[in-house]
Amino acid sequence: MTNRPAPLRILAPESFRQALSRRSFLQIGGAAAGVAFLAACGSSDDGGDTATDPTTAGTSASTGGSTGTGVLGNYSNVVNKASGTLSMYTWGDYNDPEIIGALADADLGVSMKVDYYPSNQDLITKLSASNGSSGYDIVVPTGPYVPMMIELGLLEKFDKSLLPNILNVDPLYLGRAWDPTNDYSVCKDWGSTGYMWNKAQLGRDITSWADFIATTQNEMSGQTSVLDSPNNVTGMYYWANGIDWTTEKTEDIDACEKFLVDEFAQHVKAFDSYPSTKIAEGAYGSSMVWNGDARQAFVRIAEAGGDPSEWKWSLGSPETELWMDNYAIAAGSPNPEAAHAWINWLLTPEISIKDLNYHGYHSGMKDIDTLLAQLVPDLVDGDMIFFTDAEVATMRTGAVNSAEDRIVDIMNKVKAKAGG
Amino acid sequence: MSAAIGPSKRRLRGPRFGLALPSFVWYTLFFVVPIAIVVVYSFATKDSTKRIPVDFANPSLQNYRDVLDPDGVFFTTFKATIRIALVATTLCALIGLPVAYFVAFKVREKWRAALLALIVIPSFTSFLIRTVAWRIPLAPNGVLSGWLQDWGLTDGPLQVLETQTAVQLAIVYNYLGFMILPLFVALDRIDLGMREASKDLGAGRLATFFGVTLPLAAPGIAAGTLLTYIPMCGDYVTATVLGGAKGNMIGAMVASQFTSARNWPLGSAMAVLMIVAVLLTLLVGVIAVWIVPRIVRLGSPLVAPIREHVYRRGLAVTASGPARRARPEILKLVLAGWAVAVLLFMFIPIVLVIVHSFNAGGSFSIWGGASTQWWGALFRSGDTVAMLVRFLLIGLAGVVIPKVVFRMTGRIGPSARRWIGVAAFAFAVVINGLVTDWYRTIFRDANIGDAMRNSFTAAFGATVIAVVIGSLSGVALARRPGKWTSIFLALVFLILVTPEIMDAISLATWMEQLGGPFKNNIGPLNFGLLRLWVGQSLYASAVVTLIVRARLAGLDESLEEAAADLGATPATAFREITLPLIAPALIAGALLSFTLCLDNTVISTLISAGGVSTFPVALLSATRSTIKPFWGVGSVVLFMVTMAALAFVAAVLRRSGESSSQIAATMTGS
Repeated sequence: MTNRPAPLRILAPESFRQALSRRSFLQIGGAAAGVAFLAACGSSDDGGDTATDPTTAGTSASTGGSTGTGVLGNYSNVVNKASGTLSMYTWGDYNDPEIIGALADADLGVSMKVDYYPSNQDLITKLSASNGSSGYDIVVPTGPYVPMMIELGLLEKFDKSLLPNILNVDPLYLGRAWDPTNDYSVCKDWGSTGYMWNKAQLGRDITSWADFIATTQNEMSGQTSVLDSPNNVTGMYYWANGIDWTTEKTEDIDACEKFLVDEFAQHVKAFDSYPSTKIAEGAYGSSMVWNGDARQAFVRIAEAGGDPSEWKWSLGSPETELWMDNYAIAAGSPNPEAAHAWINWLLTPEISIKDLNYHGYHSGMKDIDTLLAQLVPDLVDGDMIFFTDAEVATMRTGAVNSAEDRIVDIMNKVKAKAGG
Repeated sequence: MSAAIGPSKRRLRGPRFGLALPSFVWYTLFFVVPIAIVVVYSFATKDSTKRIPVDFANPSLQNYRDVLDPDGVFFTTFKATIRIALVATTLCALIGLPVAYFVAFKVREKWRAALLALIVIPSFTSFLIRTVAWRIPLAPNGVLSGWLQDWGLTDGPLQVLETQTAVQLAIVYNYLGFMILPLFVALDRIDLGMREASKDLGAGRLATFFGVTLPLAAPGIAAGTLLTYIPMCGDYVTATVLGGAKGNMIGAMVASQFTSARNWPLGSAMAVLMIVAVLLTLLVGVIAVWIVPRIVRLGSPLVAPIREHVYRRGLAVTASGPARRARPEILKLVLAGWAVAVLLFMFIPIVLVIVHSFNAGGSFSIWGGASTQWWGALFRSGDTVAMLVRFLLIGLAGVVIPKVVFRMTGRIGPSARRWIGVAAFAFAVVINGLVTDWYRTIFRDANIGDAMRNSFTAAFGATVIAVVIGSLSGVALARRPGKWTSIFLALVFLILVTPEIMDAISLATWMEQLGGPFKNNIGPLNFGLLRLWVGQSLYASAVVTLIVRARLAGLDESLEEAAADLGATPATAFREITLPLIAPALIAGALLSFTLCLDNTVISTLISAGGVSTFPVALLSATRSTIKPFWGVGSVVLFMVTMAALAFVAAVLRRSGESSSQIAATMTGS
């Protein structure tokens, strides 16, 4: 699925698209996203890097086009050999099949086995129930869940001497609040949540979460899918109503439950964390979807003989999610050596960008625009991967707090109610 | 004479339930105890701060109240599930009965075997991939939807996926075979003379069917209902793959309490209530089917007088009945047409799986043009050829060695020869998988080679367990009946009727608490595999028990007694007499349990450890996002391997003189 010619429409405003000489776009998009990411996360201490980031991005971009391997030479490229098998428990369709297949075999000497989960709750249940005997080596939790998992003893501490390529990660994406010293986790990628709808069918645009909810209750009743992830479903309600989605207030949570169970659930067609294929099958008219999966959906629609231009994707507004998923090593990992080698390998520029081109999420490499210009000059739908400054400013990082139990309960009830 | 029999008989009998002891221990440890724990959990409350998120401080009935609250959110799913299962069971019976009738009465013996095979074959493809394959024709953008719109039959695109209708359809499809087979066995046992006598007595075709055939087929209908209704109620896969939010069923809802929602007490209460609901509806069904006809004297009034008539006629009328009136062919043609239509229906998903394994696109269910690329990955190297050669060589050895041994010693019996053949085949499969890594080489890109290897290893181990403990308890049940028999049979019955999802959640929590070899690799013993062996062996061993018992019950015990009279020790008598007698049942039981284990999805998914996923477990996990076309390739390969095994065993059975009817009867345990 790489190197497709681009029959697909790029889903950006016309003016923006004209400015889309690939490199300049990436330069703006990547760098701006970096700055705004920081602002959006409201992270504590590492403001110093913001000033340098745009400049480095700019300069390396200008060298990137001319010299071949020059830029790649600026990165750490350590690849440690390992052996045996490596089990990863991760989100669906989240790595390039070659990277978890033949390439892992050839480059590392490791044979990969991958299982998938649809939500952080599934991951935590599996790991905590088995208490160190899950059999998995690598897991990919979302940031806010990392402290809880460390506390429950579900994660193994990194041996950082085996992760020299961590230097390649943009400092913006290191030292996040959930793991300030990156002792347990390192950025895999980050992204956001929005909605995708069949414009030909709906006849208009979905303009906000409130609109998405209203559409679900009316024109798209029984034709809408939402993510099979509790925090996203409650988040949708909070974002639509201008409530902080990390709220712990009982009245907020009660109102959320009442609305979702009584007025929303019965209109939902499916709880689906990866709706791209089913969108292409024509099963959904509108979907809550993560940006990378939305990008895949356009490919699938074209593949199924549909017309991608009938579909639109938009980031959720006025506010939406900002999530960052992290590679971590599961407690009791049967093959920690290979786990380190694999994570380290994923932090080499070529592999990281190859993977990015598959899953469609910003992988947090430093000077990522330069890398992309050099390695994937024909990247499709880049604007679904890299967000503008203004877009990132609307994104909010989630939290795992005292409301977590209630949120999971609400989702449980919403799912049961939706069947009635 | 009697003095001679006395002591030898005592020697033969030994402890009454001794042979069933391994099963007793096994079932207690891995069925009774874990389910008891789940029942206890159902009174507790959720405490997500604990590793086992269950708090016993305030035991209450609250979970049951939550589920049973008619205005609550969970109750509707219960009602929907029972409705879907009842409708599907009825449909299966209505669709399946004419097919079974056709095969049993209207087809010549030599075609019968082929037709039975065609009915069984779909069940040997992965349950999961067949269910996924229904997405292809039902897709709103799919071919069928296009036709319906072109013909003006529907206004817009077909809106079936993610509804109860899709679940209903696929559930009928998934369990139809399990209804047809027992129906056939029951019909096949009906004495033709009974039906002819009914006509001789002036009963019309319909009267004969409803007055004689149907009542006599009642055991088959009952068996078919048990085999379909119960697993339907606990079905987890169909609803997950096709149901969306609307087609949710209890099985999926229970599972989600143990995965995403982490509400084990609520999930436990749901599971307990599910079993209660299943048993209650069955009870109602039993009352309806057995009591009502007796009261209104509708069902079997003809049978008794006809039996009498047949008896009185004796041999006076020739069995072939040349004087009978010529049968009109129309009924036969209609039945044949129906059977063909049903068979086509059963093969639709399989054909689609095969076609879509040649998909050029990036998603299994979406056709992106024809291509052999996913197969190319399979056959790209000489490794595949080498693997096939190895298979052939080891298989040949299995045929040649017994012959050589026979020549040399002259005393190898036919049953031993059969066994060496079977053993060589199993050996070829396992050795090829374990030692040579072919699965990994040929599926290098696809990441499913290990899953296939794990499937075979897990199914093989579970089958060995099932055959050993199942045959011992089967022999004990048939030859050492006593007070313990009813308790043990009740246990076996309970294992067979407990929806799989209940076993799955109880075993998953129990194994975590047991720890030891279920949490750590001990020497070469992989704990993930051990979990699968144990989990998959439960149902399989219950099936083997019943098959072996049924086989022995039909055979006179005098042979074993004669052996004992002639001075054989119990061990010798068992080896020389009992074992050869039950050999066909063992082969059929082993084959059936291997197939069941190979396709086991629900238990395996919930108990499996990372890195030891079997093919269905990995596929189910892949259905959570985009299913790549190589899953189609893998399914086809798995299908072919299973079919090869099936053909082999069928050949062995046929050579040992079993008719197709007997094979079918043996395999359904009746």
